[in-house]
Amino acid sequence: MLSIVKRIIGQMKNDQRSLGLLLFAPLLVLTLLFFILGDSNYLPKIAVYDMNEKFVTELENHAAVSEETEKPEAVDYLEINGIDALIWSDSEGTHIELLEKNSKSAAAIEAITDTNKALQPAQNEMIMDYVYETSGDNQLDSLAYVFLGVISFFFVFILSGMSFVRERFGQTLERMLMTPISRIDVIGGYTLGYGLLAAVQSVVIILYAVYVLQLQVEGSVALCTLVMILMAFSAVSVGALVSIFANNELQLVQFIPVIIIPQIFFSGLIPIDTIPFGLGNLCYLTPIYYGCTALEMIMIQGKGFLDIWPWLAGSVIFIGVLFLANVTALKKYRRL
Amino acid sequence: MRIEILEVDKSFKKQRVLEQISLTIDSGRIFCLLGASGSGKTTLLRIMMGAIPTDGGIVTIGGIAVPNRQLLAKMGYMPQNEALYEELSAWENLKFFAGLHRQSRKTFEANAEELLQIVDMAACKNKLVRDCSGGMKKRISLAVALIHKPKLLVLDEPTVGVDPVLRRKIWLYLRQLRNEGTTILVTTHVMDEVTQCDDAALLRNGHIIARDTVKNLIDQTSDGNIEELFFIDNQSEAEVTLC
Repeated sequence: MLSIVKRIIGQMKNDQRSLGLLLFAPLLVLTLLFFILGDSNYLPKIAVYDMNEKFVTELENHAAVSEETEKPEAVDYLEINGIDALIWSDSEGTHIELLEKNSKSAAAIEAITDTNKALQPAQNEMIMDYVYETSGDNQLDSLAYVFLGVISFFFVFILSGMSFVRERFGQTLERMLMTPISRIDVIGGYTLGYGLLAAVQSVVIILYAVYVLQLQVEGSVALCTLVMILMAFSAVSVGALVSIFANNELQLVQFIPVIIIPQIFFSGLIPIDTIPFGLGNLCYLTPIYYGCTALEMIMIQGKGFLDIWPWLAGSVIFIGVLFLANVTALKKYRRL
Repeated sequence: MRIEILEVDKSFKKQRVLEQISLTIDSGRIFCLLGASGSGKTTLLRIMMGAIPTDGGIVTIGGIAVPNRQLLAKMGYMPQNEALYEELSAWENLKFFAGLHRQSRKTFEANAEELLQIVDMAACKNKLVRDCSGGMKKRISLAVALIHKPKLLVLDEPTVGVDPVLRRKIWLYLRQLRNEGTTILVTTHVMDEVTQCDDAALLRNGHIIARDTVKNLIDQTSDGNIEELFFIDNQSEAEVTLC
């Protein structure tokens, strides 16, 4: 088993580009996400027509306001002028015209709501508080657990799946099985070897996210790392298992949409109990679910080991089941 | 290691590849399995090692039925294509396979140095396999098959793409191994290699059509040309290619 681990590490050491991709590509993607989802401080552009002076003055504190002297009638007025919202009032009340539902119109609505609040403080104001609050506008903080999980799973899945496919086609697998090694040792060596690489990757990703991107983690960073490492191990096993059903590298790539994308749905992006027909229960079959749920609990809810252990156990059981499946599947190549 | 093959059948999908093959390979001989490409040589080898199951019949090696892991420890296998790790050097490839055989570091280093000398790769043992030429890969592959000093050596077309000088050297070494008691099984479709072997069997269309010592087989041909062996049963004209 140790020979296989050493060989895998040796192969990686000699193939520096793959190693670089394994370690740095996830960081690149995370950095990009940081800028895309990070704090943008967008100031919405709002046009007003025939609104009272007080409202406009207050609105100017929340948005870039332009006043129209004539009511713009053209349908594409907003689009052409790059304006997020148009406000006018008539006998029916105050109208707000928006282009489409997106983060810009959301910012415009927020600016208008804030203006109203400032002008007419309600007698009985509603005060909203989240039990688990992440810092203000930064969407990355509240979604980071999904990306951390999915990205590391994805890269490791490809790495282990590809190398297994190649091993079968280069017939090195057959050659390896023509030695007295046991099937358990083969799969064990593989899981451990790529698992170690994946573990290094997980540590790099989490440290980068926390200390460079300043991602907010309520709970323990070490516990996050543990969860990520478990997830990486399951990614190795899933990759190895899928490679059995792939007859070449292309087919393995074609498996990505089948294996990875559905898992993203169960990673916490969509609340699982809102999924109809009990399809949400499929989450128990996806390793990303266990990892991402545990990460969410640590990073956002600040929970500790005692709260998340069922999900960790889920991950471990998953790895165990896949391990046995892989050992059995190797029978295809040697009957012993 | 005497190999006995008894009434072995094998089909892939609907095509019958091997039909009622019975063959005995004596211990301490160089045995050559001769046949055109596609005649089932590799399939027979893989069945003998226990890599793939038979549809019927049994194979025993040294009295033990395959597949058996203790047997695998005494076997060295060189597949038809190189089956090496491209990202590793020749030395690292050897080390990996020696590790699978649980060889101690000291034994491994001694064996590896010796083998790399024989296959003429000592000078570039640290070269990555992906940078090696086809012939070099073949030689490394041979060294890998020999690293644990197997009692039975199974070589699938070992000298294809190896230059004549080195080929002679390799055959010399194989004969030396034979004299030390190793049983060697070689497949080939290169006729002049047959003369290097002690015994040979001819495989065609899933049947063994001849099996004897090489000397006797050559005596059977009219002009001593080994290629005549392929026309030995006068069937080739009527031969239908199955695809």
